[in-house]
Amino acid sequence: MEYLALTAGLMLPWLLGLALLVALGWPQAGGDSGGTVALRAGFGYCFGALLLTLWMRLLSAAGVAFGWLSIGMPLAIATVALLAFALRAGRIAPVNLRTAIGSLLWPPMPRWQRLVWIGLIGWLALRFLLLAVDIAWQPLYPWDAWVQWATKARVWYELGRIAPFVRAEQWFAGPGAAYFDAAPNYPATVPLLQVWSCIALGRWDDSAMNWPWLMLLIALTCAVYGALRGEGVAPLAALVGAYLVASLPLLDTHAALAGYADLPMATIYTLTALAFYRWAMRRDRIDAALALGLALCCPLIKIPGLVWALTLLPGVVVALMPRRGLQVVGIAYAVGLFALLALARTNVVILGYKLHADFDPGWRAFWDAYLLSSSWNLLWYGAVVMAIVGARRLGQPPLAPLAVVVGTGIAFLLFVTWFTNASGWMQELTTLNRATLHLAPLVVVLGALLWRELAAGTQPAAAVAPAPA
Amino acid sequence: MLVGASLFAASTLLCIVGYLALSVPGSWFGSLPTLRWTAAELAVTQGSGQPTADGLRVSAPGKQGIAIVSIQTSFRSAGYTAVAWDTADVPNDVAAALIWRNDYEPGRRFTRPLTVEAKRLLPITLADDPNWIGKINGLAVIIRGDLTQPMMIRGVEAKPMTAVQVLHDRIREWFAFESWSGGSINSRSGGADAQDLPLPFALAAIVGLALIIYVILARWRPQTIGPFRPLIAGGLFVCAWFILDVPWQWNLVREARATFQQYGGKSWRERHLAAEDGALFAFIEKARAKLPPPPVRVFMGADSLYFRDRGAYHLYPYNVYFDPYRNTMPDAAKLRGGDYLVVFRRKGVQFDPAQKKLRWDGGQALDAEILFAEGGGAVFAIH
Repeated sequence: MEYLALTAGLMLPWLLGLALLVALGWPQAGGDSGGTVALRAGFGYCFGALLLTLWMRLLSAAGVAFGWLSIGMPLAIATVALLAFALRAGRIAPVNLRTAIGSLLWPPMPRWQRLVWIGLIGWLALRFLLLAVDIAWQPLYPWDAWVQWATKARVWYELGRIAPFVRAEQWFAGPGAAYFDAAPNYPATVPLLQVWSCIALGRWDDSAMNWPWLMLLIALTCAVYGALRGEGVAPLAALVGAYLVASLPLLDTHAALAGYADLPMATIYTLTALAFYRWAMRRDRIDAALALGLALCCPLIKIPGLVWALTLLPGVVVALMPRRGLQVVGIAYAVGLFALLALARTNVVILGYKLHADFDPGWRAFWDAYLLSSSWNLLWYGAVVMAIVGARRLGQPPLAPLAVVVGTGIAFLLFVTWFTNASGWMQELTTLNRATLHLAPLVVVLGALLWRELAAGTQPAAAVAPAPA
Repeated sequence: MLVGASLFAASTLLCIVGYLALSVPGSWFGSLPTLRWTAAELAVTQGSGQPTADGLRVSAPGKQGIAIVSIQTSFRSAGYTAVAWDTADVPNDVAAALIWRNDYEPGRRFTRPLTVEAKRLLPITLADDPNWIGKINGLAVIIRGDLTQPMMIRGVEAKPMTAVQVLHDRIREWFAFESWSGGSINSRSGGADAQDLPLPFALAAIVGLALIIYVILARWRPQTIGPFRPLIAGGLFVCAWFILDVPWQWNLVREARATFQQYGGKSWRERHLAAEDGALFAFIEKARAKLPPPPVRVFMGADSLYFRDRGAYHLYPYNVYFDPYRNTMPDAAKLRGGDYLVVFRRKGVQFDPAQKKLRWDGGQALDAEILFAEGGGAVFAIH
């Protein structure tokens, strides 16, 4: 019975987000085809999960205790209301749902592609099942999960509200109302997701509370498939793109050994960039609103989420100024580099990272982490080759806005690794791979889109027109 | 598809031949078996050694301690070109060397430095060593450095290093079970911790060579292979990705099986008791039974970072304080009546039952009462 309740609790944010997107009529182009269903499913869970935690914050601020009634009931009602609105407004038709799901699972394609399609779906299903085994039974395992994230979840679950966590000196000076852990300033979203799982289950369980990590991985896989279909990538190629994301070993590890905020950060940031890219291609206001909403939520997942959100700005510039955008961004980069070199001669502290001119490329760390270890499969080999082969295409429409976002993200990683006091952790591989995880799915998506462009470049023009999703 | 498969196969063959040409030190073919000596046959001639089910646990006191582990052997060096010590937990900053004796100069000991990587001693190739000659009458490994944390030796092998064996070793490394560890969340080695040829690099080389061959043939010999098709190039990459994904999926299968065997069918509490920190969890469970209901302030102390932080985690939702990074105890002056202290395997904590005084690290004594003590842990109420 309790696992039924947990399942309902896990489905609630998914349904809420789906209902919201359906009510908004998003995505506009594409009807109820398979790509649209996947896109809605992927974005739906993430929006639902974020809305859930925002609602929990609101309840806590209003002094209402956490519980099924206070959290689940209003969100369930909101879900039903949104679906009813969508039905009345004609934005969803039950009769089309079967066709859409059929189109998602069984798109028309030649026989050999069908075999690969079924094989890949089966392979991915097995992957998710294997990850689920660890989530279901492994007690909370990775270090930071129980020293700085689940600490908050446990306290908030037991108290039924959000209680403040403070630094040691404040904790000692205070009357005992605030709590302490290894990272008291970290955002509340991830622990609140864990709290909700436990509330849904009806008891504290530091294994079961981590199911949202698997949900996020599945949502990310769906969103990548839907986004690639939306950009006209063929069904099998889009599935391969989604598979490349879902099979990134470090991403899988973060799902199996759930509890860190890096997988949620990677998912939300990737979806932010995908929504932005849709806006850049279509100029649809809802795409823009979704991208903005997700970008605002990035700092609610991890503190560096603020910087990840800001990496979209150069992309916005390029999208708004197709002719001069790249030049503007290039000049801004040059100015930024000059400012950085000047700053690095001082000891300025930004977001807790001390800038100083201890320029240390640490190539060996990159080599080990990206190319020799199996953390990324062949991602970085492929990325380097694609960047060289497709350099010209990356600087042109339609890829330029997304390429600039990825480029800015890579510049951010290099900056943190080379110029800040985080370089020590980076070079010990304790942070480099995890920081890279936030960007890696987006690199795969860009690679898939670039490959499509390069492949289309050798085909007749009629074959490159975006197909309906 | 046939073109892609042919390219992949040809490139794989070329890469294998190239790798073997670079890495096989002697003859490519041979019928000599690998000679293996288990930990039970090893003798510790300096330092201390403790036989365990997993192997020989070796330690040496002092910052510059020396440990020597040896084995009497009798085999002809001809045909055996490498020696591999099967080790684990070797500190990265120790100096290690292989020692051997031969029957040409029985009074001399010959040494070659060994490399420590990923907490293991890497195999050493001796084909080019002029003293690796005749009959080898003894092998030993000498470790110099801080071995206060013991290292493990499971055995030693003399290998012929034929082509088949080199390939077998690589495949064994790639498919070695990589169980979850503290470092898994940061990085994945992809099989054995130390690998002579990481599989991602090998596959990247194979795909890279296949693509080069393909581009050359498509450009200059299109009649043999047709014009360049991006689908084939992409297909080669995705195939290599999938090949690399197979050991990962297989590792996940084995990991899931291990997780299920350890925790499957158990309740939340039973799973924690079965976990690696089960003893700590059991102690904290008893400590919680002695504490008043939350939210009193509880201080957690332990010498080990893991026990301190993990103990604190098990104590929530009490209002816990612990030092997440260093082995420090709180300033006694900052504690007040109604606070509690939980210590687990923490040296320097002294309690005088007669005086009911508690102090730690030679600091100020506090009025306190002991509520519970067991197995190196205790719970104190501060008055």
